[in-house]
Amino acid sequence: MTLTGRGFRRAVLGAMLVGFVLLLTAGGAALLAARESQVRSSWVVHTFEVERALDRLTILTEQLETARRGYLLWHHDTALSNYRARSHDIPAALDEITRLTRDNPEQRVRVAAIARLVESHRRSVQQTVERAESANLAVRAMADFSVDESFFSMRSLRTTIGAMKRAEEALLAERTAAEDRAGLVLNVVLSVTGALVLLVIGGALWVVLRYTADLDRSQDELRRLNTGLEEAVAARTAELSRANEEIQRFAYIVSHDLRSPLVNVMGFTAELEATIAPLTELIDRADAEAPALVSREARGAKADLPEAIGFIRASTQKMDRLINAILRLSREGRRTLSPASIDLAALTAAIRDSVQHRLGEVGGAIDVAQPMPPLVSDRLAIEQILSNLIENAIKYRDPARPLHVAVSGRREGERVIVDVADNGRGIAPADHERIFELFRRAGVQDQPGEGLGLAHVRALAYRLGGVITCISSLGQGATFRLSLPAVLDTEGVR
Amino acid sequence: MSEHSVNIIMIEDDEGHARLIEKNIRRAGIANAIRHFVDGTKALAHLFDDPDGPARNGPALILLDLNLPDMSGIDILAKIKADAKLRRTPVVVLTTTDDKQEIQRCYDLGANVYITKPVNYESFAKAIQQLGLFLSVIQVPEVGEG
Repeated sequence: MTLTGRGFRRAVLGAMLVGFVLLLTAGGAALLAARESQVRSSWVVHTFEVERALDRLTILTEQLETARRGYLLWHHDTALSNYRARSHDIPAALDEITRLTRDNPEQRVRVAAIARLVESHRRSVQQTVERAESANLAVRAMADFSVDESFFSMRSLRTTIGAMKRAEEALLAERTAAEDRAGLVLNVVLSVTGALVLLVIGGALWVVLRYTADLDRSQDELRRLNTGLEEAVAARTAELSRANEEIQRFAYIVSHDLRSPLVNVMGFTAELEATIAPLTELIDRADAEAPALVSREARGAKADLPEAIGFIRASTQKMDRLINAILRLSREGRRTLSPASIDLAALTAAIRDSVQHRLGEVGGAIDVAQPMPPLVSDRLAIEQILSNLIENAIKYRDPARPLHVAVSGRREGERVIVDVADNGRGIAPADHERIFELFRRAGVQDQPGEGLGLAHVRALAYRLGGVITCISSLGQGATFRLSLPAVLDTEGVR
Repeated sequence: MSEHSVNIIMIEDDEGHARLIEKNIRRAGIANAIRHFVDGTKALAHLFDDPDGPARNGPALILLDLNLPDMSGIDILAKIKADAKLRRTPVVVLTTTDDKQEIQRCYDLGANVYITKPVNYESFAKAIQQLGLFLSVIQVPEVGEG
């Protein structure tokens, strides 16, 4: 499995997204559960408050009753003040209960009953106490007390409050259970959330670790490949240099060893030629003095010999030129390159000046585009390439139109491209490779030449780490495109 | 010893070249004896050890081809010019090479004349005839001069 795979990356991204969404959901759920739990707890507290309020009311009512009885029995002021305080506190306690049970219709009914009971009890108590305050009525008060309804109202009150408390206790049980449930839910949600957090963090960590490991691995691989590549390039360069040297040596040796027999052919042809004169003279004399001695073949030989020797001479001379061309190429290949900064425009202008007389004769013009990109290369080689191309443009012009040659240059990345474009007779696409081959020419053979120029140009271009190509079609002019490294590295090319 | 006639020692592996050289030398009117060797080993043996050779017997002129089957003419040139007795013997390097560096090397080693064998026969004959002139002008100096 590769971690760099597009599919895998998408899957990881998806998983992370799902993880985070789950985490958010879990967080939300935890929040909700916590709030629910809080609400449940507050309801439990509320129930306790109701119970407390009920207890307080019960106590107050009982204390009120106790105070009344105490007063009736002993007419003591302490009991009276106790009675007054309780009777003052009771409405507040009742209000508290009313407020607390506002949410519960069942209890509200009970509270209303309690309020009625408390009120009737209070009134009967008040009556009793007021009577008791005037001493003459004290006996009457005692009598009233024994027959009034407060005993019953107290009993009903206790029963009702008891019912209310029971109801509240039922509620409490219910609410406690709900609180416990909410707590449980909260716990579960929190646990799940925690687990999710761990899972997402773990997943993220795993991905990060895997990516890091993968990155390290690919870095190592890259380093290894780079080293391998450098070695491969070095080996290849060495191989190429060796092959190139071998070709140079081969060309050198071949051209020398071919020259040796050629010297003989030429030398002895000359010796032969020297014998023609005396032989011709001999035949002529014999012909004059004793024609019978001269055969038809002998007369024929007299004419054939100079012709044969003429052909031998022409051929050997041509062979000599070809061998010299090979020698020149091999020598050029062995020349040490010396890279220097070259002003292409000035160099081209100088070449144009050197062919000015030819241009004048044929009525042509050479345009040198400005500006030309800077170039660091071997000046002599560049000069030879450009003058060769320009001379070709003049040589193979189209007589139907005035010659025009445009030389331009531009920079493309690490390379400099130089175009030499003419409006000459053009080259058929089938010949675009052929013209660069040694001793090969294309088109109408109406110009002198051995087919060396472009072979030389290509060899020079290769030597400079460049390439030369031809863009043309017959009758449409030709553009020779030279692509060179902007800075010649003599370490790489030999 | 100075009245000895100069022997011409020709070290040339190509029989044709040798014949052409000889013909042209004779044509130039030079009648000196010519000894021809086709390989370096025999030539060195003659130069250094032969009782008739220049090391032991009188002045000579050496015509040397650089491309020999068994050794380079340059080595022979170096040996001649390193030898106390032979180093004053004029050496004419006659070869097909017209490489500037090689010519320079021959002169550095002490070659007296360097002639490129031209394919053009007229100039070749002319070169050899000039050699004849050269031969008639030089008087091989005594060993120990200067």
